[in-house]
Amino acid sequence: MNILVCLKQILDPEVPVRDFAIDGSGLQADPNCANQMTNIFCENALETALQLKDAHGGKITVLSFGPDSVKDSLRKGLAMKANEAFMVLNNTGHQPDSAATAKVLAKAIGKMEPFDLVLTGREAGDWGAGQTGGLLAEELGLPYSAFVDEIEPEGEDRLILRQQTDSGWNKISAPKPVVASITNSDHNLPRIPKTRDIILANRKPLTSWSLEEVGISEDELAAEQQKARIKLLSIPEGKSDCEFIEGDSLEDKIDNLAERIVAIARSV
Amino acid sequence: MGTKTFNSNDIYHFEELISQEDRMIMDAAREYAQTQLEPRALEGNQDEQFDIGIAREMGDLGLLGVFIPEEYGGAGSSYTAYGVINRELDRVDSAYRSFVSVQSSLVMHPIHVFGTEEQRQKYLPRLATGEIIGCYGLTEPDHGSDPGSMITSAKKIDGGWKLNGSKTWITNSPIADLCVVWAKAYDGGDEDGVIRGFLIERGTEGLSTPKVKNKMSMRASPTGEIVMQDCFIPNENALPDIRGLKGPFSCLNNARFGIVWGVVGVAENCYQRARDYVLGRTQFGYPLASMQLIQTKLANMVTDITQMQLLAWRLGDLKDKDRATPEMVSLAKRNNAGAALNIARVARDMLGGNGITGDFRVIHHMMNMETVNTYEGTYDIHGLVLGRAITEIQSFVPRGNDQ
Ligand SMILES: Cc1cc2nc3c(=O)[nH]c(=O)nc-3n(C[C@H](O)[C@H](O)[C@H](O)COP(=O)(O)OP(=O)(O)OC[C@H]3O[C@@H](n4cnc5c(N)ncnc54)[C@H](O)[C@@H]3O)c2cc1C
Repeated sequence: MNILVCLKQILDPEVPVRDFAIDGSGLQADPNCANQMTNIFCENALETALQLKDAHGGKITVLSFGPDSVKDSLRKGLAMKANEAFMVLNNTGHQPDSAATAKVLAKAIGKMEPFDLVLTGREAGDWGAGQTGGLLAEELGLPYSAFVDEIEPEGEDRLILRQQTDSGWNKISAPKPVVASITNSDHNLPRIPKTRDIILANRKPLTSWSLEEVGISEDELAAEQQKARIKLLSIPEGKSDCEFIEGDSLEDKIDNLAERIVAIARSV
Repeated sequence: MGTKTFNSNDIYHFEELISQEDRMIMDAAREYAQTQLEPRALEGNQDEQFDIGIAREMGDLGLLGVFIPEEYGGAGSSYTAYGVINRELDRVDSAYRSFVSVQSSLVMHPIHVFGTEEQRQKYLPRLATGEIIGCYGLTEPDHGSDPGSMITSAKKIDGGWKLNGSKTWITNSPIADLCVVWAKAYDGGDEDGVIRGFLIERGTEGLSTPKVKNKMSMRASPTGEIVMQDCFIPNENALPDIRGLKGPFSCLNNARFGIVWGVVGVAENCYQRARDYVLGRTQFGYPLASMQLIQTKLANMVTDITQMQLLAWRLGDLKDKDRATPEMVSLAKRNNAGAALNIARVARDMLGGNGITGDFRVIHHMMNMETVNTYEGTYDIHGLVLGRAITEIQSFVPRGNDQ
């Protein structure tokens, strides 16, 4: 089976609040305020693919759209034992939204050999939009399933996708090729690459395409970005206060507490 | 708003100096240490527990003997890669890093460099996977800083050697399958009394490895003795070509290099915990972090840490180019272990009463740093190594230059 996993690089979402910063444009996070890392759900997707390959054979390709630094995410993917890595370089300095990203990824996929399965993460830890998988399926004209946490082959031509729901899961039978966005579960915790595989990964080739090379111009990308625009980003100011509720007895304290809560609720 | 250029964890952007490949190894080691070791660290220390599974886990990820060539089970990495692994393990508990130091630098390194091809093939791959555990016996009850005066002896007999003596303070000895032991060899020839290395397997008759009890530092790292009573070691288990203190010192140099990096992780962790604590705690109506005395303590810490980081990186760079000398290693081991001990003590103080409980982990590091400042050559002994290099006058032996 031929599997493509899309990896997004994001700023470490665990960055302490006091270190987080917005850049001079006021439109995006300052890329220097935290380390870049692979989005965790994308790594869950890669782990799901790796387990599928371990059990049933096949080949895994990783693909990322982003600045030069996404090479780090792709190399980590190779170190986890993906077979090949491709990137589309974004040197516009702007972070694309889900629709623009899906468009670029679809163009890149069009240049590659056909895949049986295309995976993305459920959402990314920066914006949490959760749109790219679905939009990518739309661009590719393929069926799509979200919130998938396990995949198994069903005969030669179909796959069973296990989709998490609020109360359990659905098992969906889908024809290949299919797009799925992967959520985390107990079974797809990303493996830690071994030192030897890291060293081997650094010797493997990594193909980098420009936007032009995949057939989309910077202007087209910018136009795509105009559809939904961010006007201004700001960091909410957090304030915390501590108040002790007094009272002669436990009942008194409970009454006073309830009154206080009502008063606060009215005032906001 | 405005671009952030001040990263209070890495002020001189030292991690940028580390190659892409070594940084990936660093990230993998960090992920393992934070997710798999950190949850076990406090209990391991309190209960003096070394979970033997840790050896296999580390072996599986290729963290043991990472610089050993692939054909013997290592990853053939740079020495800087070994350094960054040590930094991540030490950040959690130096006891875990000690395990890796001994296995990699004190056991795998001498077998690789001084061993026969048979010895390499027999032991290295299994040491790399953590299937077998090694230890390194140089220190004796009466000979620590002055190992040249050791009394453990190896007497040549038919087909091998008979070893007698005892080693103490030996990391991993209670759980070791293989002991690298340094002893004075007596074969009745010109080389009588010269130091040689021997590989002693668990199960050898006359060998015992009792545990050193009541340690107050490195509690998760098992430490013990190696007692040898007429132990027979076959010829094929002697390291063939190495003679004198050069052998054990070559191993120590390697391990000390790892320590130089490791204690950077300790210092960083203590500083970060102290910083977070004083930012969150208010006394006299203001956050502790707003007090001048507290701020200069933090400033001193990051100044020391920056020096430690840059020293570690430069030493790694020189070692990878095969240009690091023992004096360079002594300078950095002395500086970094001493600074880490000091930072741990100051951080402990800044946490007040909470600094006394293991939950905040700083006192755990502080106690560990007492060992690190002492083992692999004490702070003062490295000062004497440097003093000798500077003046060309040795001062280990009082009035030793009189003659
Ligand atoms: C937890 C732990 C693990 C260890 N693991 C190992 C191991 O795996 N293998 C191993 O072989 N050893 C190991 N050691 C032993 C360690 O290397 C020694 O403790 C160290 O070398 C110091 O030797 P010593 O304890 O005999 O102290 P001593 O040599 O007696 O030193 C005592 C003090 O005297 C000072 N001193 C000594 N000589 C001089 C001098 N000439 N001038 C001025 N001051 C001097 C020292 O600096 C020190 O402050 C370990 C120790 C510990 C605590």
